[in-house]
Amino acid sequence: MPTSPITSDAQTMSALRRTLSLAAARQVVSSSNLANLSTPGYKAQEVDFDEALDQHVGGARLAVTNGRHLGGGSDAAGGFATRVSEEGAARRDGNTVQVDRELLNMTRSAGEFARAQTALAAKFRLVRYAINESR
Amino acid sequence: MSTLNTAVSVAASALSAERTRIEVAVSNLANAGSTRGADGKTYRRRDVVLATDTVRSFDSALGAASATGVKVAAIVEDQTAARRSFDPSHPDADSEGFVELPNINPAEEMVDMVGASRAYQANLTAINLIRDLVSRSLELGRA
Repeated sequence: MPTSPITSDAQTMSALRRTLSLAAARQVVSSSNLANLSTPGYKAQEVDFDEALDQHVGGARLAVTNGRHLGGGSDAAGGFATRVSEEGAARRDGNTVQVDRELLNMTRSAGEFARAQTALAAKFRLVRYAINESR
Repeated sequence: MSTLNTAVSVAASALSAERTRIEVAVSNLANAGSTRGADGKTYRRRDVVLATDTVRSFDSALGAASATGVKVAAIVEDQTAARRSFDPSHPDADSEGFVELPNINPAEEMVDMVGASRAYQANLTAINLIRDLVSRSLELGRA
């Protein structure tokens, strides 16, 4: 399937949007894990990385089947699958949540979110600049 | 945005559950010597039962990242035997001179309380992180 060699604004924005939703999904999963820190038998969850990567890469390079196609988003936002995390031993009550790990994940995805947001804001500024005829 | 709001409500559910744990631990500590509870018998140690609670949202209906909150399923009485102490002059002493004291171990309650307050702090940190994200995403619309 041919892909367009030049990444358009729409493609960049679509990829950034995906980064934002992935970071938000990670936050939701980590905050679920933290909330269940004291629940006996709870197994820590994580965002299914492989699936997230597929969606991610699929978004950065859109298939163009016609020369006049515009790049754009195609999926439903925020549809990330979760799975049970295999890292970390269970405590005596069967709970596998580790506070430091979850807080680290939250901080990391907050940074990811901030980076993508900064880039997206810069893109929006350029678009606004173009709309306002360079004023 | 809506997923971030879900994350906040999940963390908030944990805050209220951990607060309940602290309240129960404190009331156990306070009643470590109560020989007359609400039913007139010796006070029994109370325990909080936590359970997962799916946060109902539009996203979970669409099969998005599932958000799992926590809720207090029940507050149960600890059924271990009461401590018996020999004190014939106590008004609640039985015919043999023994008084039944609550089945409370202060060290156990303190450990429970420290655990609950650490979990509370962790969830508060999570809310602060999410709040930063929400305010950043609001900045997207600004010039």
